[in-house]
Amino acid sequence: MFRLLLTTALAAGLAPAAFAQEITVGAGNVAPFLDPGRDHSNVGSQFYFNSFDTLIDRDHSKLEPEWTPALATSWTLIDPTVMELKLREGVSFHNGEAMTADDVVFSLNRMFQATFPPYVVRSKDRLNNFTSAEKIDNYTVRIHAGREEPLWETLVSLQQIMIIPEEYTKALTGDPKVAEDSDFEAFSLAPVGTGPYSVAEFLPGERIVWERFDDFWGDKAPLQRATVVQIAETASRVTALKTGEADIITNVAPDQLSLIDSDPNLKTEGSVTALFHAMIMNANHPALKDPRIRQAMSYAVDRDTLNEALWLGKAVVPSTHTMKEFGDLYMPELTTFEYNPEKAKDLLKEAGYDGGEIVYTSFPTYYTNGLLAAQAIAEMWSAVGINAKVDVQEKWTGRDPQMMARNWSNPMYFADPFGSFGVMWAPGGPSESEGRFNTDEEYAAKWERFRFSTDVEVRKAAYAELMDEIKQDPPVLPLYRPFESWGMKKSVNWAPMPGHIPYVLDFRAGSISLADS
Amino acid sequence: MTDYLLRVAIKMAVTLFAIVTVTFVATRLSGNPIDTFLGEGLTDEGRDALIAYFQLDRSIWHQYVAYLRGVVSGEFGLSFIERRPVTQVVAARLWPSAQLLLASIGLTAAVSIPLGVLAALYRKSWIGSAVMVVAFSGYAVPNFVLAVVMILTFSYWLNWLPVVGNGTALHFIMPTIAMSGVLIAALTRFTRNAMLDVLGQDFIRTARAKGLPELAVVMRHGLGNAGVTVISVIGLQIASLAAAGSVVVETIFSWPGIGQLLVTAAIMRDYPVLQFGVIAVAVAVVLINAITDVAYALVDPRIRLARS
Amino acid sequence: MTGLADIVARHRRRRAGAAAGGDIIQRIALLLAVLLAAAAILTPLIAPFDPLDQSLISRLRPPAGFDRAGPGHLFGTDELGRDVLSRALYGMRLTLTLAFVGALIGLCLGGTLGVIAGLRRSWLEDAIMALVDMQIAIPFTLVALLVLAVLGSNVTVLVLVLGVAGWEQYARIVRAEVRRLTGQPFIEAARAAGAGTVYIARRHLLPNVVSPLVVQFTLALSNIVILESTLSFLGLGVQPPQPSLGSMVGLGRDYMPTAPWIVLAPAALIVTLTFTVQILGDWLRDRADVRLQER
Repeated sequence: MFRLLLTTALAAGLAPAAFAQEITVGAGNVAPFLDPGRDHSNVGSQFYFNSFDTLIDRDHSKLEPEWTPALATSWTLIDPTVMELKLREGVSFHNGEAMTADDVVFSLNRMFQATFPPYVVRSKDRLNNFTSAEKIDNYTVRIHAGREEPLWETLVSLQQIMIIPEEYTKALTGDPKVAEDSDFEAFSLAPVGTGPYSVAEFLPGERIVWERFDDFWGDKAPLQRATVVQIAETASRVTALKTGEADIITNVAPDQLSLIDSDPNLKTEGSVTALFHAMIMNANHPALKDPRIRQAMSYAVDRDTLNEALWLGKAVVPSTHTMKEFGDLYMPELTTFEYNPEKAKDLLKEAGYDGGEIVYTSFPTYYTNGLLAAQAIAEMWSAVGINAKVDVQEKWTGRDPQMMARNWSNPMYFADPFGSFGVMWAPGGPSESEGRFNTDEEYAAKWERFRFSTDVEVRKAAYAELMDEIKQDPPVLPLYRPFESWGMKKSVNWAPMPGHIPYVLDFRAGSISLADS
Repeated sequence: MTDYLLRVAIKMAVTLFAIVTVTFVATRLSGNPIDTFLGEGLTDEGRDALIAYFQLDRSIWHQYVAYLRGVVSGEFGLSFIERRPVTQVVAARLWPSAQLLLASIGLTAAVSIPLGVLAALYRKSWIGSAVMVVAFSGYAVPNFVLAVVMILTFSYWLNWLPVVGNGTALHFIMPTIAMSGVLIAALTRFTRNAMLDVLGQDFIRTARAKGLPELAVVMRHGLGNAGVTVISVIGLQIASLAAAGSVVVETIFSWPGIGQLLVTAAIMRDYPVLQFGVIAVAVAVVLINAITDVAYALVDPRIRLARS
Repeated sequence: MTGLADIVARHRRRRAGAAAGGDIIQRIALLLAVLLAAAAILTPLIAPFDPLDQSLISRLRPPAGFDRAGPGHLFGTDELGRDVLSRALYGMRLTLTLAFVGALIGLCLGGTLGVIAGLRRSWLEDAIMALVDMQIAIPFTLVALLVLAVLGSNVTVLVLVLGVAGWEQYARIVRAEVRRLTGQPFIEAARAAGAGTVYIARRHLLPNVVSPLVVQFTLALSNIVILESTLSFLGLGVQPPQPSLGSMVGLGRDYMPTAPWIVLAPAALIVTLTFTVQILGDWLRDRADVRLQER
């Protein structure tokens, strides 16, 4: 009876749930700021799709890209380096401003010609082929690229160039006619977009409240209100789902799936995420300069066992840096990475490994199962004769010259090898500029063909050559594509969709519904 | 008295200056803080831009002087992660922490004072022993163990109590108990000892001799006098213990207070937040101590005299 | 602030205590203490498994007697298939070692500063006592959080932090004793007879401070055990794969709903440990007080 009373009290106090079409999401992390332009984190990408639109969108229920009109109703290449887009009329932002070409040009150029440091960073690693956006008339814009671009639609549909309002943003601080850095800082705490949900409340790292935006240009949002609260503790998230405090929870570890599935009121949904958990190795560390040492470190890791033990076999272990989502450039036939402990031992002997300690650094909790995998990998190294040690650091050590090996993730930021392998391992990209990866002219030449050729076959051949370079002198071992799970009440119809980048919480029309119960 | 107040004020100022300096030095010990929070994959240009943005390219003295100047004018810098003034970040967390603290102090007083009196009155019997054993458990069971066991029992197995945040009254039950364990232990002991001291004194014997009922003796004369010590203990010890406790308890229960903020900031290396958070808590504790000190001195002139 | 703090400390010292009739409790505590100490010293001999040995195929096995229990794993296995009992034993050994070394550092640091403050009645005393006040004013867990976050956690840093945690108590005890002694006529006499400071300290100061220091040391031990396990619980203390009781609870709490034994075994050990040490410390304090009063 006591229990009944409490549950009733809880239900009354917390979630006037299904009837009002409202839900509460318990998320492992809530973003510290909300600005699609400067963000590319796994945490942030959960939140943008509900409140912001891109010019070109895709059908997210399909793995293969199928471009659909969004804020642009049509687009044509009027020149290999110029795309002209017709904008949708009658679109308004959450604050009531009408969207015009000025807003679009402002949003694009804040990235293409970035001066605000966080934008500069994102602009360089994925948008640097674009030089400017130009207004033709109130509902026509042109995007100019530096060179012929094989990935037009893919790049124009990036989260980083979702459209934000010009006047509103500029007026946030200082001079209302000028875009100052402080305007962008302020925007990231009070974000405004054109999407089906407006951000009604945002407490960084704590809570986001979405409310249905009635003037949305497309299909109306199915939920009146959705509240995302941060529940960092894994066990607390599951408990919150059981006690009814949350309707959906994110980041359910594989070990807890059975627990949720065994509850008659709850279920789990999951998918293999478009992201690799990876082990990276420092090619410039004195002890690891010989590529054979790094090859041995790689051959020693039994990724299938990791998958079986830590992911219940639900993760996907790749033979090379490739994913189905890459479409034409999906190349599972390549074998870049494999498990071969005997070969690892031989390579260590050939390289004259002196038994020096090799340290594997891991974040404590950032990656699901990350620390467990780290400890297991250290054991696997020991098995082939490597003197292994695990070091737990909350901070990113990828720039530290003392770093030997550590965990990282290589997400797919957009559906192309350039959007996954490419962003991280380009010549002059983040890995090289952090000093743990080297490229030469030959690598750069292969990279050029891969990045800019408009012939798919040439790109494939070039990518295969790049993979061979990686195999010969490995800086990275993709461990697996993790199986990411969400737990929810049975009355919630929601599942991750294959056409999204990882972790997107898509609550748009057609993506979620609540059973009347 | 003015003299005494002045001394307290000077002492406070020195302590606070020291805290500001220590936290500043501590956060600069590990080299450039920018590298520790930047996260994955950043180009050199991006890194340089951010360093300039947070003015971390200046000399350490320059930064220190700038920081001190900011402190004086109430500006403690921007959070590395949230990019808004740390004062705002911390202020947003103030009320939930205060709520939990008040609830804990309330529970502690409600439990400890009667227990302490009981233990003093029945010092020689099993009741007194039993009370003191309970008090010991408060010391011996770390709050995280208490919290974890409660969550397991009441939320996970029984589904009675919510575990996340501070939404309703029910949310207060477990965090308050977890916070109060140590506090109850401390206050029960102090109450007992203060009562024993008072009950042994002449005026109590006089009161009893006058034929006052025992209850009145204990309550009015006993507790009335012991109360001064007890309240001073609440100020002096509880503030410090509670500050430490909130760090753990708020983390476990996702309580949106300062304690949780500090742990997150420590883990994410958000130094400006960590720095200001520690300063804010220390100021609160120092203030509470100073107020207690002055109040105590007002009540008991011996202390004032002892120092001049 | 010293005045009030002294009064509180005096109160605490005077009559705190495990009550009369607690004899049985104290005997049990003594027995437990012996058992725990023996277990800590003999861990390598009695632990059934290597605490770091993983077996990924036998992860999360429940304790003996339940379904699916793994052979030989009395308290079950953890998330990497390591033996929970062995890890808890090694964890306790590490926790106790850290606590001992930490308390010793505190004792040496605080003792030295206490002697200096007691002997040199100058700005040095003021400075030291100001430090004592600061230490009391600032919640130490926060400072530890800051230092460990910045320096990163390794055993050396951790032990130093634990050592600094309680130094001010020793400093106050020693300083008070030094001040009391230096006023005594027999000390003046000894000085007049040409005895050096070190001689006086060894001959007259040491015997007088030993018992309060032993009491303080014991009480500090349990505080340090709690501080260490709290920091490790928060992920800022002992780092995996090395087990400590606190980190076992901290890392194991993700598995609380599915595998509660990972948390319960080390949690029970922490409580037993602190409880035992607390009762012993209090008992010692009562005995020391009696002796002091008799004198």
